Amino acid sequence: MGPFDPSAAAAAAAAAAAAASSSSSSSCSGGSAPKRHHHHHHHHPPPDLDGLLAGAGYKVRSSELHHVAQRLERLETALVNSAAHIPHLASDAVHYNPSDLASWVDSMLSELPSSSFSSPCLPSGFPDPYSPAAAALGGGWVDHPSCSPHPQPHQNVVVPQQPQPQQQQQLTVVTALEEDSGIQLVHALMTCAESVQRGDASLAGSLVEEMRALLTRVDTSRGIGKVAGYFIDALGRRLLGLGSAPASAFENEVLYHHFYEACPYLKFAHFTANQAILEAFDGHDCVHVIDFNLMHGLQWPALIQALALRPRGPPLLRLTGIGPPSPDGRDVLREIGLRLAELARSVNVRFAFRGVAASRLEDVKPWMLQVSPKEAVAVNSIMQLHRLLGSDPPRDPPIGSVLPWIRSLNPKIMTVAEQEANHNRPGFLDRFTEALYYYSTLFDSLEAACPVQPDKALAEMYLQREICNIVGCEGAARVERHEPLDRWRARLGRAGFRPLHLGSNAFKQASMLLTLFSTEGYSVEENEGCLTLCWHSRPLIAASAWQAAPTVVNSPAGVINHDDNNNQLSCSPVPMLSIETDIPSSIQ
Amino acid sequence: MAGDNEVNANESKRVVPLNTWVLISNFRLAYNLLRRPDGTFNRDLAEFLDRKVPANTIPVDGVLSFDHVVDRPTGLLNRVYLPVPHDASQWGFEELEKPLSTTEAVPVILFFHGGSFSHSSANSAIYDTFCRRLVGLCKGAVVSVNYRRSPEHRYPCANDDGWAALKWVKSRPWLMSGKDSKVHVYLAGDSSGGNIAHHVAVRAAEAEVEILGNILLHPLFGGQERTESEKRLDGKYFVKIEERDWYWRAYLPEGEDRDHPACNPFGPRGRSLEGLKFPKSLIVVAGLDILQDWQIAYVEGLKRNGQEVKLLYLKQATIGFYFLPNNEHFYCLMEEIKNFVKPNC
Repeated sequence: MGPFDPSAAAAAAAAAAAAASSSSSSSCSGGSAPKRHHHHHHHHPPPDLDGLLAGAGYKVRSSELHHVAQRLERLETALVNSAAHIPHLASDAVHYNPSDLASWVDSMLSELPSSSFSSPCLPSGFPDPYSPAAAALGGGWVDHPSCSPHPQPHQNVVVPQQPQPQQQQQLTVVTALEEDSGIQLVHALMTCAESVQRGDASLAGSLVEEMRALLTRVDTSRGIGKVAGYFIDALGRRLLGLGSAPASAFENEVLYHHFYEACPYLKFAHFTANQAILEAFDGHDCVHVIDFNLMHGLQWPALIQALALRPRGPPLLRLTGIGPPSPDGRDVLREIGLRLAELARSVNVRFAFRGVAASRLEDVKPWMLQVSPKEAVAVNSIMQLHRLLGSDPPRDPPIGSVLPWIRSLNPKIMTVAEQEANHNRPGFLDRFTEALYYYSTLFDSLEAACPVQPDKALAEMYLQREICNIVGCEGAARVERHEPLDRWRARLGRAGFRPLHLGSNAFKQASMLLTLFSTEGYSVEENEGCLTLCWHSRPLIAASAWQAAPTVVNSPAGVINHDDNNNQLSCSPVPMLSIETDIPSSIQ
Repeated sequence: MAGDNEVNANESKRVVPLNTWVLISNFRLAYNLLRRPDGTFNRDLAEFLDRKVPANTIPVDGVLSFDHVVDRPTGLLNRVYLPVPHDASQWGFEELEKPLSTTEAVPVILFFHGGSFSHSSANSAIYDTFCRRLVGLCKGAVVSVNYRRSPEHRYPCANDDGWAALKWVKSRPWLMSGKDSKVHVYLAGDSSGGNIAHHVAVRAAEAEVEILGNILLHPLFGGQERTESEKRLDGKYFVKIEERDWYWRAYLPEGEDRDHPACNPFGPRGRSLEGLKFPKSLIVVAGLDILQDWQIAYVEGLKRNGQEVKLLYLKQATIGFYFLPNNEHFYCLMEEIKNFVKPNC
């Protein structure tokens, strides 16, 4: 596809936009799916939520405020009466989703012996919202001396609609601010991207030349110079119709491995997913992990070892690894499987491996996975789901067929890790700008946190591939269609999944993992039951867990009802995963 | 005396709206879980529970934000909030190369969030919201400092971070304004942030770095003595003395007591500010805050040292009244701040 000709470029862009919006229009209906922002903080809260508390990061229904207040009071009383409760609540209990205040306080209360707080019959001291007196007051909070002379805002204040200008130019602010040449470069990049969006290929082309000249006067070994270089190359490739450079599966694996070593993003994803899978498998004797992208199986030794250490003994573990076919007659998947089997044998875990070779995830059919109704299934997708969001119109993006078959497997858990960015906006300039910001942050973290070569250089090439794809490709070829958590929540919700919240224990362990990287700058944040890995407070990777929402339909697997009403992972003690940075299997 | 817990809860319920009561009580509950008797702090749980928001370069209600790393070794981060002109479609990246204004003075507020030196961050939702409000109110920029917290980092780390942030702000061409082309800086902070603002202002005055004003919102000061307000209000409106003591033990150098000048700047070990070009101060005291006697003593101390100070005493306000815009004290405060940062003619 070559957007060399301006009208063809416009047509291609329009087609891509139409395809993207036809898949995203369904995702925008319902819920509070954002169009531009990807954090909930500035959304219009649903009308029954207290708007002011929403601005503080808490989702509490106005009608529940009294209930929550009562609970808070009881908890405070209980803690005052017996300070011994505090260590239990602080260290032993697992906390989930603090934004949902009502369930947070209720779960803490349920952790305490019921004798420790006062009988519910005592008046709380708050006016009863259902009493006639309260009704006379309009059901709102009691009016007291400090009533504002200004119009008293309602508890469920709605943030006024912000009119968004049509051509709102998004701002990219990178650490380039401090360097004049940096600002010039970013400015030129934005102008070039904008001309690409308009279909002005000749202007775009001359800007690429200008920027290449600019680059010679700038330090390209680090910072904005380096990142800009990649984006300029990607723009150049786009204008020549080259898209991404073709890459062999072997090359991909090598780059992936170095990216894995150079920075904590993949390790965080693997580690968090494994913790969640371990908890979900608790109590099951036959378990089956389906890995959507096996690569070298780097994620699995740690899980195998953790299962080996289970107090009641390891389960029978089946691992189905999906990966691209090997071109040269080797069966790479099988080789990985053998190595993992060797490891499993060495720790006495009964293990069976199956490789499913497919060049695209959408080519996989559920029957290939041979899921048995007796086993607990974990579906593991590390940076794979976004690849299913693109298509060549008029075909629909494959996500629409893949999510249903995942759900039909009735997995005990689906672990998902995705880049926390919106690189799937229909408008090229928006996508470009967001990617520039995102990858600048990512490259910044590599520079600061990974001085080791060749890991760093190859990790950068790994990321460069992604940049090239986001900037240079369209349609089905553009596979790096990253979307932020809120969009995934909406999409997975519609597909019949509900969240399994990751709690304070997972948070703590992920934080501990980060301390192995001695650089300041990485942090873990909790986002309504999901965990994100941040560099200097910018979320970059989001890890989440899901289960099939209850249904009464007969599924092909023969399961009728999902018996698990609890959307939290089990609290029973599970062995801590050991963090191995030296993976036993040898990598060529 | 702390008194019966239920009585205390009833008292505080009478003076704040329900959602404010829920918000502050929720913080209290969480904070109770985080402080350990041995002086250590459950930082992991604290970070897990804290509601944070990322920066957003897309303007929301006329304000955009971005994070900037000031000092790599300490990881010191500032979150910058900028007002976006009405005609947002004209506003582009190149605006950041220019000063805020070439004709008039535009205030830049260097803000230190509260949290008793141990809690919260610049990207905590409550403080992100507050800073955005300040931008809209003052029509200026706000820079929120993500200073290092105790007990992991004791005095003087937070003050050092404040000083580094001040120097950074003062040297940004794109924060300058006015015909005199300089950064018109005000320092502001609530609770521990107010304490930090004071100390940074002292250092600035000594170094002859100009600060146009200090805004301290129920600043955290204290001393060995137990004041009347501490005894009278202990445990009544969301705050207990023993908690205050814990935070001082966590912040001050080990072995020090509360008459350390970081805690008690005009106490027996305090220093004189006489003759120092210290900025004018707006000190906001909540009438139901147990620390008000210390705050009023601070005001008296400034006066004794010949410094310009205005006391805004909000009789029925509790701590944290400025988090939610649902009470008269909030609006009163906003009006005072707006007038305080207006450039003199």
